[in-house]
Amino acid sequence: MIRSEQLNKVYRMGKIEVPALRDVSLEIEEGEFLAIVGSSGSGKSTLLNMLGCLDKPTSGAVFLDGVNTASLSENELAGIRREKIGFIFQQFNLIHSLNALENVSLPLFFAGVSSDERLKRAAELLTKVGLRERMHHKPSELSGGQQQRVAIARALSNNPAIIIGDEPTGNVDSETGDAIMGILEGLNREGRTVIVVTHDLEIASHAPRVIRMKDGRLLEQ
Amino acid sequence: MKDIFLLAYRDIKERKARTGLTLLGIAVGIAAVIALMSVGYGFEQSVTGQLVEMADLIYVFPGKGFGSAHVELGSLDERDLKDVGGIGGVKEAAAGAMSMEEVEYRGEKTVVNILGTDPRDIGVIFGDMVKTEEGRDLRDNDHKTCLIGQGIANDYFDEEIRVNDRITIGGSKFRVVGVMEKQGGFNSDLDSTIYVTRRDAKGVLGNDDIAVIWARVRNIDEAEEIAAEIEERLDENHKLDDFTTAMTMGSAIEQLKTIFTLLQAVLVAIASISLIVASIGIMNTMLMSVMERTHEVGIMKAIGAKNGNVLSLFLLESGMVSMVGGVCGCVLGVFGANVISIGIRAAFGEEIAAIVRPEVLLGGILVAVIVGVLSGLYPARKASKMSPVEAVRYE
Repeated sequence: MIRSEQLNKVYRMGKIEVPALRDVSLEIEEGEFLAIVGSSGSGKSTLLNMLGCLDKPTSGAVFLDGVNTASLSENELAGIRREKIGFIFQQFNLIHSLNALENVSLPLFFAGVSSDERLKRAAELLTKVGLRERMHHKPSELSGGQQQRVAIARALSNNPAIIIGDEPTGNVDSETGDAIMGILEGLNREGRTVIVVTHDLEIASHAPRVIRMKDGRLLEQ
Repeated sequence: MKDIFLLAYRDIKERKARTGLTLLGIAVGIAAVIALMSVGYGFEQSVTGQLVEMADLIYVFPGKGFGSAHVELGSLDERDLKDVGGIGGVKEAAAGAMSMEEVEYRGEKTVVNILGTDPRDIGVIFGDMVKTEEGRDLRDNDHKTCLIGQGIANDYFDEEIRVNDRITIGGSKFRVVGVMEKQGGFNSDLDSTIYVTRRDAKGVLGNDDIAVIWARVRNIDEAEEIAAEIEERLDENHKLDDFTTAMTMGSAIEQLKTIFTLLQAVLVAIASISLIVASIGIMNTMLMSVMERTHEVGIMKAIGAKNGNVLSLFLLESGMVSMVGGVCGCVLGVFGANVISIGIRAAFGEEIAAIVRPEVLLGGILVAVIVGVLSGLYPARKASKMSPVEAVRYE
C-alpha cells in the first residue's frame, strides 16, 4: 500500500549538504502497525514526513496506492493528506484560538463538509476518545493527554486509511502514553494502517513490526 | 463561506489591540478623504449655487478683466448700453460705473469699491439675491445717498456704520440709507461695495464712463450666441477688434466647476497619503500575523488545507479589517466634514454645508477593501506558500 524506493533526502545548510535519508526502500502493507525507532537525528521523522506526503524526497519515490507522490503538486499532496492520512504530532499541534470541537472539525472544513455534518462528526469522535464533556474547551484548558486525544480525534475526522504518529506519546506521562498507544492499537484493529515514530522502545513494542534507523539508513526490518 | 468568515473573525478577535490600531489607520485615511471631498462639494455648491441664480446674466466689459473701467482702449458708453438692450434675446440691460475711491468715516480712511447704477437696475443686475437688510433701497431722485454692503458696515471701519450715518466718498458727504444683506461665498465682493446712483457716481468719478453692462437673456441656451453678438456689435461701435468681453455666467460656472474638480483631485491626493500609510500598516500587521501564525499555517496545511484555503483566510482577514475600517472611516469622515463646516462658519462666517454624497461613502468603503486586500496579498501569499513541514516545526 505504501512503498518507498531508493528514498534520499538532502538538506542544504548554506554550502553544506546534510543527508537525512539514504536509499531508504520500504514496503508497508495495508492494515499494518509499524513502529520506526532510532535516536535523534537518525532520519525517522524525515522518513515519516515523506510517507505522510508532508515533504518531497530529493530523489527516489514514494508510492501510495500505486501513485508516486513525489510527482504530485502541493495541492494534490494536500488532498491526499486530507483524505487518506491522519496526523498525530508530539506537540499535539492544536490551534489555540479554536475549541476542541472546532479543532476536530477543521480538516472537514477544508474537505468542504457542511457545518452541521462537521460538528456532528467532530462531536462523535470526541465522544469516542472520551472528551464528550470537554468539547467546548480550548487547548489551553486541557491536559497534555486530553490535547493528544483531541489531536487523535482530529486525525480521524476524515476517516483516513492511514494514521501517522510522530512521537505521539513524547509529551505525555507513561500512563497516558500507554492509553494513547491503546487507542492506536484499536484504530489498527479497525483496519487502519498505523505508522508511529518513537525513540521509546517500550512504546514501539506495541507495534507488531518495528524498523530501526541510523544515520538516515534502515538498519533492519 | 460562512465558516471561513467565522475562522477569520476568530483570528482577528485574538489580536484585538493590533487589529484595532490597524483599523484606526484605515479609518483615519478614509475619513480624511471623505471629509475633504464633502467639504469640497459643499464649497462648490455654495459658490456655483449662487451663480446658478445668475445663469441668465451676461457681463459685458471692456478689455479682458472684469471691472477694469479705464482700460487704455476706452470705456463703454450709453450707445453701447442701448445697443446691448436692443439685441434680440436680451430681456433687459443695465449699466454700472465702477471705481475704487477713498472713503472716510469718523476720521478713518480706506479705499473701497464704488458701484454707481440706476436704482431700478439693481434688480436687473442682482435679481432677487441682493436685498436690503436695514433701511431702504436707493431711489431715482436720491442725491448723495448710498447703500452699503455688510462688510463695509461691520468690518471696514473700527466703528460700525448704521443707517443715516454719514460717510465721505471721494471728498463728498453721503448719507447711508440702507445696509445690504450679507452675501458671502462667490458674491462676497458685493459685501465690500458701496452703491450710489449713477448721477452721484458721475460726481464722484468725474466722468460718465460705464465700466460694465449687465444683460439678462430670455433663454439661457442662447446666452453664448448673444454674448458673441454683443462683442461684435460693441467692437464695431469702438472700431476695435477684441475691445469687448461678454462673459456668460454659464461659461463662468463651467470654468469654476473645472477648477473645483482640480481642487478636489488635489485634496484627495493629499488625503490619499494617509491611505498609503494605512495600507503599509495593514501589510505590516498581516506580515506579523503570518509570522506569528507560521506554526498554525503548518498545522492547517498538514491536516489538508490547500494553498488557496490559507490564501483566502488571510485575505479575508485583511479585507474584513479594512472594510470595518472603511465603515468607521465613513462615520468619522461625515463627522469630520461637519466639524470643518462648523469651523469655517466660526472662523470666517461663511456658510459652507458639508455635502456627503452616498457614492463617496460607498467609494470610501470600496477603496478601503481594495487597499486592504492588496496590502494583505503579499503576506497571504507568503503564508500560503509555506512548506508544511517547516511551518509545523516553527515555534
